[in-house]
Amino acid sequence: MNRGVFIQAWLDTMKAVVRDKGALLFLVVAPLFYGFFYPWPFSTQVVTRVPVAIVDLDHSSLSRQITRFAQASPRLDVALVTGDERDARQALWKGDIEGYAILPKDLKRNVLRGEAAVVPVEGNGAYLLLNKTVLTGFAEAVGTVSAGIEIKKLQSKGQSARQAADSRSPINTQLVALFNPDEGYGNYAVPAVAIIIIQQTLLMGVALLVGTWAESAVHRAGTHVWLGRIAAFSTFGVFMGLLYLGWIFAVHEYPRAANIGGAVLLLMLFIPAVAALGALAGLVFANRERAIQVLLFTSIPMAFLSGFSWPGEALPYPLQLLRWLIPSTAGIQASLRLNQMGASIADVAGYLGVLAGLAVLAGIALCIKGRAR
Amino acid sequence: MHAQIFRASLRREWQLLRRRPWDVAMISWVPLLSVALIWWIFSNGIPTRLPVGVWDADHSALSRQLVRFLDATPGLQVVARYDDEWQVEQSMRAGRVYGVVEIPREFARDVKRGHAAQVTLLHNAQFSSHSGIIQRDVRTAVGTLSAGIEIVARNKRGEPLRAARLAAEPIRASLANLFNPSLDYLQFLGMALIPALLHIFAMAAGAWSVGTELRDATIGEWRNTAMQGQERASFFAALLGKLSIPFISLSAAGVSGLLAVIIAGGMHPAGSLVFTLLALMAMLALSIALGAVVAAVTRSLRTALSVTGIVTAPAFAFSGAAFPLSAMPARARLWADSLPFTHYLRVQIEQLQMGAPMRYSLPALVWMPAVTLALLLAAACALAKAAQQPDSWGAR
Repeated sequence: MNRGVFIQAWLDTMKAVVRDKGALLFLVVAPLFYGFFYPWPFSTQVVTRVPVAIVDLDHSSLSRQITRFAQASPRLDVALVTGDERDARQALWKGDIEGYAILPKDLKRNVLRGEAAVVPVEGNGAYLLLNKTVLTGFAEAVGTVSAGIEIKKLQSKGQSARQAADSRSPINTQLVALFNPDEGYGNYAVPAVAIIIIQQTLLMGVALLVGTWAESAVHRAGTHVWLGRIAAFSTFGVFMGLLYLGWIFAVHEYPRAANIGGAVLLLMLFIPAVAALGALAGLVFANRERAIQVLLFTSIPMAFLSGFSWPGEALPYPLQLLRWLIPSTAGIQASLRLNQMGASIADVAGYLGVLAGLAVLAGIALCIKGRAR
Repeated sequence: MHAQIFRASLRREWQLLRRRPWDVAMISWVPLLSVALIWWIFSNGIPTRLPVGVWDADHSALSRQLVRFLDATPGLQVVARYDDEWQVEQSMRAGRVYGVVEIPREFARDVKRGHAAQVTLLHNAQFSSHSGIIQRDVRTAVGTLSAGIEIVARNKRGEPLRAARLAAEPIRASLANLFNPSLDYLQFLGMALIPALLHIFAMAAGAWSVGTELRDATIGEWRNTAMQGQERASFFAALLGKLSIPFISLSAAGVSGLLAVIIAGGMHPAGSLVFTLLALMAMLALSIALGAVVAAVTRSLRTALSVTGIVTAPAFAFSGAAFPLSAMPARARLWADSLPFTHYLRVQIEQLQMGAPMRYSLPALVWMPAVTLALLLAAACALAKAAQQPDSWGAR
């Protein structure tokens, strides 16, 4: 009997979603649309050839050598070489360049005399990735020239080229990116934000439909009916989740680890938790459109609370705890490990436990708040 | 006459809001709270003590010194030691640490013999910002140790210490960030996210304010109350009156929120703060008008909110703050350049961080109000049409 009620509610809710254009839009069309719209600006993945200027106040063979090395850097595009810092600043304000290096007067003289020579590099800290590229590009160019000078001097004192190189830099660091090896921006941002997109569209779609029921007070039902409804919403959510993890990630060629069992288990916990919270939001708002209006702004704080871009370790302590109440926090951490890094289910058991807890809590709250009178 | 319509429409909106606490919340304390949350998230400014592991296969005094150096950098803390490749792999894969420094066997012996030794940093670029901080600090720690060894060696060969120090690095690139000296995340990320949130609230407010009139089929009642039976009804004045409340409320929230974060973060705007706040208000007005026109044209609150989601929610991703505009594909760049938020953010960065002269930012304060006006006129036309077609009211 009860099983019949559960299955009936499941089927009825599936039908209700298909018949409601708004719910269908959020549960099916929106996730598909965002799956291609959000990754779009990042499809080039890496930043190369950033326009910069060089302010050459030395006009020596050495300053020209540094300019040549900067011109040869794949990171930089030397758009302007000038003898006046004001020109560079104006180009920066105009947006023609994103940073510049100043080769100071007496640069060559100081180097020949063995005195300190400093090349100030000015980047625009406001645009994070551009700034990093400018600073790295100039640091590499200056560093290469500097190393060349030092090795020449060591050789002039009778060391062999190899010896000179070794004694110039006794310890070197080799950098190996174990995951996201080409260090692409889309590879890093989209797999995490995808979880937020899945969560937000599902929350809005479910809250819209349940809110519509609550408007006309037809939402009240017993536990089995509510479980059937959550199962129906989750059917859409899991399908969309699989579409992302299996197909959309592949289309964009993001790093994928084929832990299919792990990915399915994650969705089986994450999606019902989100669906139950969405239904709860629908009951609280008791209004068809309210959930969309209220939830629109939340994706940005949720993304920065989840710990994929801004380190969770850097959050104030109360937020470090509170953020686990949002499913996307554990969802993103578990998904990146399972789908991008190839962790085992045991490695993410803690995150899965959080999601299971959220699903149970939200489910109980929902059944109590929406119980039949 | 227009002034009367404006006043009547404003009074009506005021009375509506007094009965709808949720509507008030979404243009007042919720935006303020969200700004406060962004400030709180980034209040530490710079991430510190990220967990890394070490696999020291050398067990020498020198390798232990390197581990101490690593642990002493602000960005890292050494939380785990490994004895083999398998443990390293496991720990990285499970994400227990964001990086592992491997010190090879014979590390100290190689250095002593004058051969170059190499340490390896395995980092996790799936967590891009974590990995950037870890790379920087590992390079610093290794570089410090390496330079120390070189200077001591030169000193042993008879060079005075100061000369040795200079000879070890003939030319140094000093990396200043012109406009954000400490690379404080609150300054570049938090300050860009705050207007991005306000932009979402503003367009949603415009969509909500106009869209609810159509959803609740009260547009006729709105017209009659505002126009007071006048023949040549002007929805333009009625719209201005209606939208002035969300505009004033959101401007107050936005201006006070941005100011509070600037003061709390101890920032010193390089350019004109007043101009930035005016530009913020212009951006909010434009966003409200955009929401209103979409609601008036589609005659559906739900559709208007969906469009708000498409235009405003990813606006930050398209703004160039995180990923540069110049690196985007041509068509994505076109979309990014047609979003009002992209232009506002440029003005904010020019004024607050780059200290650009006014002439670079001034055009925005001319075209933003002009576009706002055009959008409001279009919305008024669409509303006048909608008001004559009662069949189309009440769409959900």
